[in-house]
Amino acid sequence: MSERGRLAMLLAALLLLAPVAWQVALALPAFGFPTSAYGQTINALVPHMRRVSNMVAAVNFDVRGFDTIGEELMLLAATTGATVLLRGSRGENIGDRAARLPGRHLAGRADGTVLVCRAAAILLMLFGVYVVLHGTVTPGGGFQGGVIVASSLLLVYLGEGYPAWRRIARAPVLALVEGLGAFAFVVAAAVPLAWGRPALSNILPLGTWKDLFSGGTMVVVNAAVGFAVAGSFGLILGEFMEETRGPEDEDMPDEEHR
Amino acid sequence: MNVLPWIVAAWLFGIGLYGIVTSRNYVHLIGCLSVCQSATYVLLLGIGFVWGSKPPVFYDHPPGTPAVDPILHALVLTDIVVGAAVTALLLAIALQVQKRRGTIDPRRLRPMRDPE
Amino acid sequence: MSWLVGAALLLAAISGAFVVLSRDPKRQVFALSANGTVLGVLFFVLQAPDVALSEIAVGTAVTPLLFLAAIAASKAGR
Repeated sequence: MSERGRLAMLLAALLLLAPVAWQVALALPAFGFPTSAYGQTINALVPHMRRVSNMVAAVNFDVRGFDTIGEELMLLAATTGATVLLRGSRGENIGDRAARLPGRHLAGRADGTVLVCRAAAILLMLFGVYVVLHGTVTPGGGFQGGVIVASSLLLVYLGEGYPAWRRIARAPVLALVEGLGAFAFVVAAAVPLAWGRPALSNILPLGTWKDLFSGGTMVVVNAAVGFAVAGSFGLILGEFMEETRGPEDEDMPDEEHR
Repeated sequence: MNVLPWIVAAWLFGIGLYGIVTSRNYVHLIGCLSVCQSATYVLLLGIGFVWGSKPPVFYDHPPGTPAVDPILHALVLTDIVVGAAVTALLLAIALQVQKRRGTIDPRRLRPMRDPE
Repeated sequence: MSWLVGAALLLAAISGAFVVLSRDPKRQVFALSANGTVLGVLFFVLQAPDVALSEIAVGTAVTPLLFLAAIAASKAGR
């Protein structure tokens, strides 16, 4: 179909659906006055049932934890797919130097950048671990903290360059961390099942209100998700960075002017 | 103001679709897909919002103060992270297309022919 | 503070339009980063700090970097 035909079909469809969308927008409950009682019930009951103060983490890892297993495995599948696709067609003669387009100027790395990245990467990784650990108490949790830890790995790449970064963030270690995270989540769901309780029941002691280790099984699941997300994003970023490397036997200087 | 988030969600989805249909580069197309995804985030978060209420994290304020619906927050936050991983997968597929067919323009790619 | 919510929603609509209308992928990366920040502010105004954390971490840092690496790899492969 030609380009104008596609655009005409899209505009016709949007024109047909616009009054329908308007009627639906008018029929939904008014913005700011929701009518559903499920959320308010959770806000009223769960702080005492599970002794946690972060309701979002309680919903994610306990009340609707089964959906989060699905999301976690979706993350695993997407990472595996991207890794297999990129590794499978890369070839053998890829080296450590960045692929260069002819005629492009190569700027070296400034000393200020290296210093700031070295300090900030460590601080950011500590912050990411803090966000994961306090997932059941303050806003945060495994998903957010995992992404923050993965972006601290990026600061290492900015400050140190590609070869040093690959030595620090090794792909087998990241894959192991990711797999262990997903496995721990599934184990936390399967152990109550083996004892005759419903899957993902909270079988550990619940702890005290606003304490770091409150919530029972939520602590284990939270840490597992943090590991899995950090490992997944580290692997994905590593694979994409390796795509930008050039062949090994080029005799042009790379970004370190070696 | 009663219907503003629904209108904004419909607008974002519509313009994301327009970008996908008229795209000339697969990487641009994947960016427009992420605009469509953000339309769903705006819609979901708009549904649970309560005027004059606080976040559903009872650390500073005691449980019992009016708070926003936490289930939708849980849905959206896992969705954002997994959406980024799926975007990475789509970009990997786009790179494979570039390697095999030499072009990344959707208008110049035709379905593969059967080997006759 | 209803004007704040309304303004944040309109800004989100505008930044989404900017992402679509920047046809060059190299420019779209910056539009994506700005879109991530605006959405993070919108989620924060809608009393969702967890979601805002997630969106800022993902939409401002990780997703634009994936796009940049994909553009660099697609240029280098030519």
